[in-house]
Amino acid sequence: MFYSIREGFAGLIRAKVASTITITVISLSLVLVGFFLIFIFNATRLVDTIQNRIELEVFIDNSFTPEQTEVLRNSINYMAGVLQVTYVSKEQAMEIYKKFFNEDDFEILDENPLPASFQIKLIKEYRNSKMANQIIQQIAQLDGVDDIEFRNDILVTIEKYMDYLMIGILTAGNLLLIGAVALVSNTIKLVILSRIRIIETMRLVGATKGFIRRPFIFEGIFQGVFGAILSILFFYITVKIIDVEIPGIIVVNSYIYLMLFGLGLFLGAIGSILAMQRFLKF
Amino acid sequence: MVQIHNASFRYSGGEGLELVNFNVDPGEFIFLTGDSGAGKSTILKLIYMDIFPQTGHVIVNNYNSLNIKKREIPFLRRKLGIVFQDFKLLHDRDVFANVAFALEVTGTRKRDIKRKVLRVLAEVGLNHKRNKMPRQLSGGEQQRVVIARALVNEPFILLADEPTGNLDPTATAEVMGLLERINVRGTAVLMATHNIQLIQSQNRRIVTIEKGIVK
Ligand SMILES: Nc1ncnc2c1ncn2[C@@H]1O[C@H](COP(=O)(O)OP(=O)(O)OP(=O)(O)O)[C@@H](O)[C@H]1O
Ligand SMILES: [Mg+2]
Repeated sequence: MFYSIREGFAGLIRAKVASTITITVISLSLVLVGFFLIFIFNATRLVDTIQNRIELEVFIDNSFTPEQTEVLRNSINYMAGVLQVTYVSKEQAMEIYKKFFNEDDFEILDENPLPASFQIKLIKEYRNSKMANQIIQQIAQLDGVDDIEFRNDILVTIEKYMDYLMIGILTAGNLLLIGAVALVSNTIKLVILSRIRIIETMRLVGATKGFIRRPFIFEGIFQGVFGAILSILFFYITVKIIDVEIPGIIVVNSYIYLMLFGLGLFLGAIGSILAMQRFLKF
Repeated sequence: MVQIHNASFRYSGGEGLELVNFNVDPGEFIFLTGDSGAGKSTILKLIYMDIFPQTGHVIVNNYNSLNIKKREIPFLRRKLGIVFQDFKLLHDRDVFANVAFALEVTGTRKRDIKRKVLRVLAEVGLNHKRNKMPRQLSGGEQQRVVIARALVNEPFILLADEPTGNLDPTATAEVMGLLERINVRGTAVLMATHNIQLIQSQNRRIVTIEKGIVK
């Protein structure tokens, strides 16, 4: 009697250890995936901010009258891809200049040498160098346009590497996911191996595949959810700490947490389904 | 009921069965005998469709090895009682739970489970040990629990692979007596054994197999 109680207790501990290992493996995989997701999220956020700042500056001929300027403004406004046109008068340009350089270089001159201009914001689809250049060509043909400024060196650099970066990110992400699935399913396989006897017995007395598999899948899901909660806690606390030190450097939105949760569930379920596969050939 | 027609089966190592033919009729008691490695267990595996013949076919009830679907195999097994030499009991639960297990996994209602388990345990004479753990039983008693588990789904045939292989003479006699009684009640028994003495003492049909060929 004492022996069997001890043995039963040992079995309980054994299952607990195995569960702990599985949960640890899942949450470590998720931490890895989470770093990846947070990196991507913040990188795209940065690129977005840069792209949102894209503006054209159109300098207007000094001899243009207000009426002519208004006509020019309307022509630009009706072009496809133009979101907003803001007029900056000569005086405003001077104000901005003074504010920016904090001095008054032009005081000796009678006349304000800075030209009036339009600041043009583009719609989202046009915020890339190809479409922007198309618009620039159209505007350049209009009467009264002196010069067009478009600072696009950062944009060109981003565009140049964005495709490669995207391919790299997708590949890395998929490899990471496959690796995590393999790791988790192998861990679970070890756990199932220790219960091969009960599975064998089930098969011999005529349990269906689904019946045998279900409890293991549920177990996998529970472990996945538990692992996900641990990894979410890890990131929540880590981001909190970083935010206290350097506010605003990292942003993590709740979708990332939601994704980690879903991934944990998925890892646990898929992991146990794959792990079971080998033992369920009838 | 069970028909094996020209069945051949080769393991990857080249060993196996060659053109086996034999039938088990309802209520029959057959000894399957032959040297170690002759192919006795392989024949039983063909019957519970753990493996499929590469030529010929096996018919068990209305299932044919040629066209049975994977998902039908569990339902075939519910009509077979399978007993092994190594008892394959679950050591994390008591005798009652071990027998009830065969009913639980086939979706029997709780109420019926209790009634059926108690009846079958009485049949093998172990009702008084139903709350013991398997390790607290002797080898003969453990094998009787396995037989009870095999019987609880009311199979038409009991497939026993060396059921007395690990038992001393007294326990062997007990198990043999039990199989006799089960057979008298109408369940066919196909028992693989290489214990020649044991089968000579019984007046039963004997199928001998030598190097994969039925003699
Ligand atoms: N899974 C397997 N893979 C390859 N060869 C196998 C396998 N199982 C059995 N064999 C071989 O097939 C032959 C028949 O095996 P089988 O288990 O049917 O013999 P047996 O008559 O039951 O022997 P025993 O009396 O020792 O139980 C043997 O030579 C064995 O080595
Ligand atoms: Mg054998």
